[in-house]
Amino acid sequence: MQTESTPAQADVSELELVRRCQAGETDAFDQLVTRYRTRVFAMIYNMVHNDQDAWDLAQDAFVKAWKSIGRFRGKSSFYTWIYRIVMNVTIDWLRKRQVKAGGAEFNDAIQSKEIDPASKTVPKADPLPHQRLEQHEIRARIDHAVSQLSPEHRAVILMKEIEEMQYHEIAETLGCSIGTVMSRLFYARKKLQNSLRDVYEDV
Amino acid sequence: MKMFEEKWTAWLDDQLSGNELTQFEASLPDLEAARAEKREARKLGSFLKEQLRSRKMSNEEFFSHQVHERIAGERKDRSRTGSTWWTIPRLVWCGATALALFVLTTFLFLSREQAGEQSEYLTQILNSRVDPVANPNAAVYIFETKTDNRVTVLWTEGLQSLPADYAAK
Repeated sequence: MQTESTPAQADVSELELVRRCQAGETDAFDQLVTRYRTRVFAMIYNMVHNDQDAWDLAQDAFVKAWKSIGRFRGKSSFYTWIYRIVMNVTIDWLRKRQVKAGGAEFNDAIQSKEIDPASKTVPKADPLPHQRLEQHEIRARIDHAVSQLSPEHRAVILMKEIEEMQYHEIAETLGCSIGTVMSRLFYARKKLQNSLRDVYEDV
Repeated sequence: MKMFEEKWTAWLDDQLSGNELTQFEASLPDLEAARAEKREARKLGSFLKEQLRSRKMSNEEFFSHQVHERIAGERKDRSRTGSTWWTIPRLVWCGATALALFVLTTFLFLSREQAGEQSEYLTQILNSRVDPVANPNAAVYIFETKTDNRVTVLWTEGLQSLPADYAAK
């Protein structure tokens, strides 16, 4: 997993900050928020694809983290711990929205059955020359492709590819087995390859 | 036993080694095609990282300020809730303490009253039976057991006799 300072420095000061938070010092928590807000926001944004929702969910996640920081025992890094909260908040929100929308947004279950695990997949969309794709269009294509994944598959692919987290860290964050993480990663990759091949081949 | 999907993912991420790697690659029908797909998956990973990492939060300081405000609000709510919650047990405790004090006071008052009545009565009898002429050093000791309020044990010295009609009650 990436860190913004050297691991030793980050761990020491992080633990110290956590201890101060547990003693009720909100200033220490402000420092943790400052340290992780960008990454937390970016992660949530990549899950929900909306600035305002990402902002609100990031706020909720940090407030929730503050409320439960007394239960943090330091068995994992603070980042893994807060990521678990972030993922729970975001996945819950996505699930609720899915229920409100009638469950039509994600189609992982159908796609998983349709994909031959060993097959070389074919792009669905017509290839577009990269010269014609503006940056926001690329982003829109990615967002659309990611939005077709279930919250759990989104979480796994983003944690692996963007945050460079290890399998066991992802499993710990999502509260599932390493095998489940690997399996979700397999299908998420297949599906994104399927949807985005024309984009990333050209860019 | 790992499923194909797990092995494939581990192979893509270079997490297989030794016999496991050899066996897995041998099990693939077309190793070259699989390697091409591995390169493609890597490309996808790099592409996603490049495109999705760039998302920046605007108004970072305002974000922190808002979190701070919400936490302050939560703490205020909690302390308010806490003080409301505290009054209920406090009332219970006050009530229980007052009741206990009342019971204790009543018990002590009644005990003293009973003990006073008994002592006075017995002392009168005993004093009436002491003959200061015949037994100038006579003394009276009274031992009262409280395990059974109806029983009183008397130990007397220098007492000539108890009245025949007296039964220590």
